[in-house]
Amino acid sequence: MNATVHMPAGRLWAAYFGEIRFEFIKALRTPQFAVPTLFFPIMFYALFALTLGGRGNGGSLTSFANYGVFGCMGPGLFGFGVAMAIERELGLLTLKQALPSPAGAYLIARAVMAMLFVSLISLMLMTLAVLFAHVPMTLGQAVQVFCVNVLGTLPFCAIGMFVGSMVSGQAAVAICNLIFLPMSFLSGLWFPLQMLPKFLVDIAPIWPAYNLSQLALHAVDAPSAGSPATHVLALALITVVFFFFAMRRMQRGGYRMLGARPRRTLTLVTGAGALVVALLFSGVFGGKPASKEDATAATDAASASSNTPVSEAPAGVAAPAVAVIADFDHGSAAAPYGTGWVAAADDSQGGNSKSSQRVIDNGAAGSKGALEVTGEVGNALQYPFAGTMFFPEGIPMQGLMDYSGKKTLSFQTRGDGGRYKVLVLSGTPMISIPLMIDFEAGAEWHEVRLEIANLGAADFKRVRGIGIGSMGPTGPFRFEIDDVRVE
Amino acid sequence: MSQNTLASLSGVRKRFGKVQALDGFDLEVKRGELLAVLGPNGAGKSTAISLLLGLQTADEGSAELFGHAPQEIDGRRRIGVMMQEVALASAMRPRELLAQVASYYPIPYDVDAVIARLSLQGLLKRPYGKLSGGQKRQVQFALAICGRPELLFLDEPTVGLDVQAREALWKVIRELLHEGCSIVLTTHYLEEAEALANRVVVMARGRLVTSGSVDEIRANVSHKQVSCVTRLNADTVRAWPEVLRLDMERDRMQITTRGAEAVLVRLFREDPALSDVEVKRAGLAEAFTELTNEKNKEAS
Repeated sequence: MNATVHMPAGRLWAAYFGEIRFEFIKALRTPQFAVPTLFFPIMFYALFALTLGGRGNGGSLTSFANYGVFGCMGPGLFGFGVAMAIERELGLLTLKQALPSPAGAYLIARAVMAMLFVSLISLMLMTLAVLFAHVPMTLGQAVQVFCVNVLGTLPFCAIGMFVGSMVSGQAAVAICNLIFLPMSFLSGLWFPLQMLPKFLVDIAPIWPAYNLSQLALHAVDAPSAGSPATHVLALALITVVFFFFAMRRMQRGGYRMLGARPRRTLTLVTGAGALVVALLFSGVFGGKPASKEDATAATDAASASSNTPVSEAPAGVAAPAVAVIADFDHGSAAAPYGTGWVAAADDSQGGNSKSSQRVIDNGAAGSKGALEVTGEVGNALQYPFAGTMFFPEGIPMQGLMDYSGKKTLSFQTRGDGGRYKVLVLSGTPMISIPLMIDFEAGAEWHEVRLEIANLGAADFKRVRGIGIGSMGPTGPFRFEIDDVRVE
Repeated sequence: MSQNTLASLSGVRKRFGKVQALDGFDLEVKRGELLAVLGPNGAGKSTAISLLLGLQTADEGSAELFGHAPQEIDGRRRIGVMMQEVALASAMRPRELLAQVASYYPIPYDVDAVIARLSLQGLLKRPYGKLSGGQKRQVQFALAICGRPELLFLDEPTVGLDVQAREALWKVIRELLHEGCSIVLTTHYLEEAEALANRVVVMARGRLVTSGSVDEIRANVSHKQVSCVTRLNADTVRAWPEVLRLDMERDRMQITTRGAEAVLVRLFREDPALSDVEVKRAGLAEAFTELTNEKNKEAS
């Protein structure tokens, strides 16, 4: 009579799936949860990245990847943090424990619900990015970033659990918001991290959103810091630590979230989970270089031969029909698209070259203005550079522009008689050896004209930047340019 | 454990901070019975039930449910639970809640059959959060029975129900009992225990005060109630030494006493026109008050 009542395996599975379905429907029907978590990432992306971000900027893979990470945070954080705190207060968790709800079903259902929400967010962002912002993204990149996002839900679930186990529902709302928004900001999801004070940049690796965003950036071949393995490890550690303390706290409150035999449940769940994570990550990151920073700096000698364009990556944004990039006749170095011309030198890479520029009168062929670039080439780097740069897509180095439909790149120049170089930075990965063409800046205005068809070493479908400047010899230099055209 | 004992507490002690909620308490729930657990607030009723449900663990002593520790899911697959203070998912409809809870059990009742049995058809379209308090209790009762439990825990099941709904619920409880389901009922409505229980356990201060059938409990109590119509002043009668308590219900005087005979003699002597005299043994309410009072006196 006191024998165990047999629960058929089929019914047990059905109970788990039923619980997931229940949680998902419940979350969808809870507007205070569903609306912000589902639509804030899309709305912010459309508003801040695509509309306010300006032409070119928003369409980048970088902001797509970062808003995807932003979308990962809400469902886990609020789904566990707030909802679990409230359900604990309302006695629902107590009832679940008295009922024969299968071991861990509540946690599993909640986590899967959060992952389903993140899947929806990720798909909506992709639709927006590809169809409206024309973000150059391959199917492979899309699949990878999707996996990163869905798995990236878990650390936030664990943090949410911890919050939900500690405080009341009311307090949980406040705490989750205090985690959610500042962490997005401090992890560089909305603005480049470099805009923040240095100590905030230095501590960024402690934020799970930062680690996840580096993984997402890596997944879409955008520049990222650190190695993926480190980020995965950091995220796994955060997940385990918060989960452990949340469960301990719940256990002390008398809640057996993992059933009567927590070890067994935990072993089964983490075993299955680790297997899935390992498979996905090996699929996602298999065959990719450990870090983009492995690529070496530009070398003159190698430029002609080794920089073969990568054909499988998506092409850049189509170049506008306008031919003139800059004529400097209106007192500025602005261009009709892209960033305009900006003074650039290797000091940002640790070199000691210096460059400055100004718009001056008396341009080429009697035109009103020209751009004068002066500076000094340093000796700190093997391949120094000082001059001026133009980033056609808008985001320096990250945005890609498709110039493959154009025939020539030309400009007028004069100067101190020294030898200078035109650099075309292109293709993937981002930091690869640029195409370099020599020219001389003599005392009189003359035209430098490059036939794009003859410049096979650069990937004109994916141009990141065009530079004009000196790579040596060490010492001061001065040249002028005018009437830069790609046509 | 006997074949007929479904759940038991033996010698359990449980302390919450300074409060000794249970102080060496024993309880056995037998197959086929409806056991009412009574006691004033703070007597330890809820703690005893939470131990049986595995929501708490005892500091000392043991709890068993169908021969298992209540924390083990096997025992709990044979029970149904209706708790007093619980808020279910307000966005979900009654049928969805029922389907979810039924899915936890090996051989649950058909959800539609439960809906029909409790006449919940009218509530199905609304989310749980939009139901009235009484309707919510009905849904909670449905959740408690949907798993075809052998043992049902009901904590204040009829709070917030109107008379009609309460009668309907009592009818289902009696049917379930008839079908062989055992029930543990905690209630503040003594008439509910009187109407339904085979056996009553009275608790006070974490201990058992007494247990037995409703009649046995009443028999244990020496109180009687004398009811009559008299011209005598209520305050005068209240001052008589034999009178424990006096209430006026319109023109009827209700006297609770241990010495009914002495009271009657004095009543007739002082008011020859005394009429409509009734003497009855005290109800469970009076018995219960007396039992727990004595327990409190002993303790203090």
